[in-house]
Amino acid sequence: MELRYLFKKTQSAQGGSDTPKNEDNGPQTPQGLFHKCTKCGETIFSEELKRNLFVCPKCGNYFRMFAATRIDSILDDGTFEEWDPDIVESNPLGTPGYEDKLAKLRDKTSLDEAVVTGKGLINGHPACLGVMDCRFMMASMGSVVGEKITRMFERATEDRLPVIIYTASGGARMQEGIISLMQMAKTSAAIKRHSDAGLLYVTVLTDPTTGGVTASFAMLGDIILAEPGALIGFAGPRVIEQTIGQKLPEGFQRAEFLRDHGFVDDIVTRTDMKDYLTDILAFHEDKKDFKPGKNAKIKLPKSSGKLTPWDKVMISRGKDRPVAEDYIRQLFPDFMEFHGDRFVKDDKAIMGGIATFAGKAVTVIAESKGHDTKENIERNFGMPSPDGYRKALRLMRQAEKFGRPVICFVDTPGAYCGLEAEERGQGEAIARNLYEMSSLKVPVLSIIISEAGSGGALALAVSDEVWMFENAIYAILSPEGYASILWKDSKRASEAASEMKLTAKDMMDNRIIDKIIAEPENLCENNIDAVVAQLKEGISGFIGSNEGFDGEELAKKRYERYRRY
Amino acid sequence: MIKKVLIANRGEIAVRIIRACREMGIETVAVCSEADRNALHAMLADQTICIGPAPSSESYLNINRIISATMTSGADAIHPGFGFLSEDSRFARICERCNITFIGPSSEMIAASGNKAQAKKTMMDAGVPTIPGSAEAARTVEDGLRLAEIATYPVMIKAALGGGGKGMRVARSKDVFTQAFQTAQQEAVNAFGDGSMYIEHYVEHPKHIEVQILADKFGNVVSLGERDCSIQRNHQKLIEETPCETLSEEKRRAICEAAVKAAKAVNYENAGTVEFLLEPSGNFYFMEMNTRIQVEHPITEWVTGIDLIKEQIKIASGEKLGFTQDDIKIKGHSIEVRINAEDAEHKFRPCPGKIELAYLPGGQGVRIDSAVYSGLEIPPYYDSMLAKLSVWAPTREEAIKKAQSALGEVIITGIKTNIDYQYGIITSPEFISGNTDIDFIDKFSRK
Repeated sequence: MELRYLFKKTQSAQGGSDTPKNEDNGPQTPQGLFHKCTKCGETIFSEELKRNLFVCPKCGNYFRMFAATRIDSILDDGTFEEWDPDIVESNPLGTPGYEDKLAKLRDKTSLDEAVVTGKGLINGHPACLGVMDCRFMMASMGSVVGEKITRMFERATEDRLPVIIYTASGGARMQEGIISLMQMAKTSAAIKRHSDAGLLYVTVLTDPTTGGVTASFAMLGDIILAEPGALIGFAGPRVIEQTIGQKLPEGFQRAEFLRDHGFVDDIVTRTDMKDYLTDILAFHEDKKDFKPGKNAKIKLPKSSGKLTPWDKVMISRGKDRPVAEDYIRQLFPDFMEFHGDRFVKDDKAIMGGIATFAGKAVTVIAESKGHDTKENIERNFGMPSPDGYRKALRLMRQAEKFGRPVICFVDTPGAYCGLEAEERGQGEAIARNLYEMSSLKVPVLSIIISEAGSGGALALAVSDEVWMFENAIYAILSPEGYASILWKDSKRASEAASEMKLTAKDMMDNRIIDKIIAEPENLCENNIDAVVAQLKEGISGFIGSNEGFDGEELAKKRYERYRRY
Repeated sequence: MIKKVLIANRGEIAVRIIRACREMGIETVAVCSEADRNALHAMLADQTICIGPAPSSESYLNINRIISATMTSGADAIHPGFGFLSEDSRFARICERCNITFIGPSSEMIAASGNKAQAKKTMMDAGVPTIPGSAEAARTVEDGLRLAEIATYPVMIKAALGGGGKGMRVARSKDVFTQAFQTAQQEAVNAFGDGSMYIEHYVEHPKHIEVQILADKFGNVVSLGERDCSIQRNHQKLIEETPCETLSEEKRRAICEAAVKAAKAVNYENAGTVEFLLEPSGNFYFMEMNTRIQVEHPITEWVTGIDLIKEQIKIASGEKLGFTQDDIKIKGHSIEVRINAEDAEHKFRPCPGKIELAYLPGGQGVRIDSAVYSGLEIPPYYDSMLAKLSVWAPTREEAIKKAQSALGEVIITGIKTNIDYQYGIITSPEFISGNTDIDFIDKFSRK
């Protein structure tokens, strides 16, 4: 029984649909009330989208942001001081209609050009800020964009301020021809001067960052961050597809792809970005003085007793033995990890980044084994590829630029032995580290926590001081390899271990290392405090004794240290 | 004046709103999900638009679809009913931006009421009594003792980071405070790693009393008496009545005045309900403000003779209230019993299914608000309330008799309902005595 046809309807109703709709003051959806997500297609209430920093609340898609909104989201209220808003562009090629087009865009967007520059405070930390806006000719770089960025760097160099640029661009501005191309060189040169003055430059790559902007100031940050999913590349994906006649794989040229290929230090969400930038700025401020606390009297752990060298080999490879990440977490709670070698890849066998220790900024680099098989596969069992060593070197150079001590944790069976490692120059990468570390103008400390296998370990251990855990080992190759080469019998590894003189005590006797960290029996996560206390005290002493160091002097002493062997 | 209303709801409240509109000559648009094509509201309205699949998120909670339906149908107002989007400030805001009359308060008021801490502060500032206790947390026994004096005993000590009853203790007097504080704090430290404790007056055995108010655009606010909603299970009201049997005339005036003050403090507009906890001592404390029509509104309509839905529509149309506080005369006694599709013998789990036969009573002083009919399939996706039976009589005693008689006539077969359970309550001496509080159901169930 269908009740619907039996009920009598409202007396005044004329069948419903005949009611006049959308009178002048009747219901209507105002323009811009909703946004449609380009990814999931969901209709989103604009006010909600704005509160969500223009990230789709349904699928997490990042909408492009207007420069002004971006500045509001990053800078402290009312602190932005805009620079150079009225530089007049030229029309070098005499492109017809170019001036008209610019004028129309200015009207429409309230922008004067594709980048807004100036300075302001980020949670109280001063910084120069450049923000590009895609609405203005796809934020292509013409002479005005190049000039504004260059002037910002010049002023920042003069005023000794850090610079942060949010990039987004289709590339060079075709209408300005070769003059546009020259902006790449001009901006890069200004950044070089700023960098040579020891100043910090951070780029935040947003969707899309391509062409001449990628190939100049976008990729020159000391620290390069990216927003999730941002398209980043030199050639655009369509151009590449047309050229090579192939379909590009999913995720190609996205921020995550760039990070995995070594070009992005970290991917940071919009919600976290302001705090993240604040931390970076704080790490790089001069006023970070070393303030060591009073060390509590350390009770040295009871030693494990008489162990053979082979016992130590086995202990150093033990599956419950803490790995570098555990020490980093204990010693440097504010550790901020950076990724990538800026050439090929981010090698997870090396973990590196910046942190503070007793108020002093330091660079921390570690050969990083995993806690379990899954993590170990990810970290390649702590065997770095050339990309890992190059990442380490990149971070050491960064430390040198900003005058930060470098603390390395050494824990590797050896450098990775594989096809790709050789193709990318494993030998060259190790050699380069020895070469560069020997003259690094900042204090370098290396701590061998477990296994230090051959050149793969030495590539993080050309240092002012080398310490070694009591049951760690340090050798030219594995005992198994030694037995196999010398005696053609890898089963005689335990015998080899004794002959090789690879224990911490042997190293001390041979003056290879400077300090032994005493270990409790069965060192593991539960009793890690015993060694962490010694490390804390030791690192405090190391940094303290190198306060106000002279870089040349350090390099000279390091030279002499290795000269004696 | 509003010409056409879209009802963004389902069930008996949608039917109730359609009826009010029809009487006012206002056209109605129902929206329904695919599971509700045969629902009464969908068949009763002048026009019906199916807005999506059965899950609420795809239909009754989907703002975009409801706005689209409004635009297509040419409706100029939306009545949100209760539940669903009725207290979603974003929905109200979108209606405002689209020039659709939202029959209810403004989005700002909804948002402000939704922020409990802020609302409590606003009420304190306006002189509406709130549960004594400070926003400051105590870390030491001395601090705690000081704050407990302000809160007045008995006090509830609770962990600032608390939850799940951990780090909570009641101290009835100063003598036992130290011990209770230390135990609670220790628990809090163990459980949450933090020993900050809030001290608040502990409201013991209260009644849940709420006051219906109506407020127009011109700042006129009237209260329409209180409702005693103490009979509830897991914060779900089961039986409501008005007036409250144990409230003295003087207290009634005080509590109603407090409600008006609360509404004025936020410049409230449209129908709203101010909820209080009433202690046996007679002290009462503001809990929250509900910015919508309530399920139990019929009992207020019975004793005041005012049609609250029609008043909502008139207020939303910009009309002045047609009466003042002096015109409001509470007459007689009214009781509402909720009839739900649930299995009282198995932890009140919902029991959807096909209704074979629905026989609902009538007669003088008996009102049924329902959306069920014989042969209707109750979908499993929504609230389990099937019908509300409300009665009116000159005295409470007569009203209870009438409720018993009418409820005894209700027949719904094919699915399990709570009719027998409710019948048990309204025939029990404890209920009849009128001396009930919010722990009533706990005690009743244990019996």
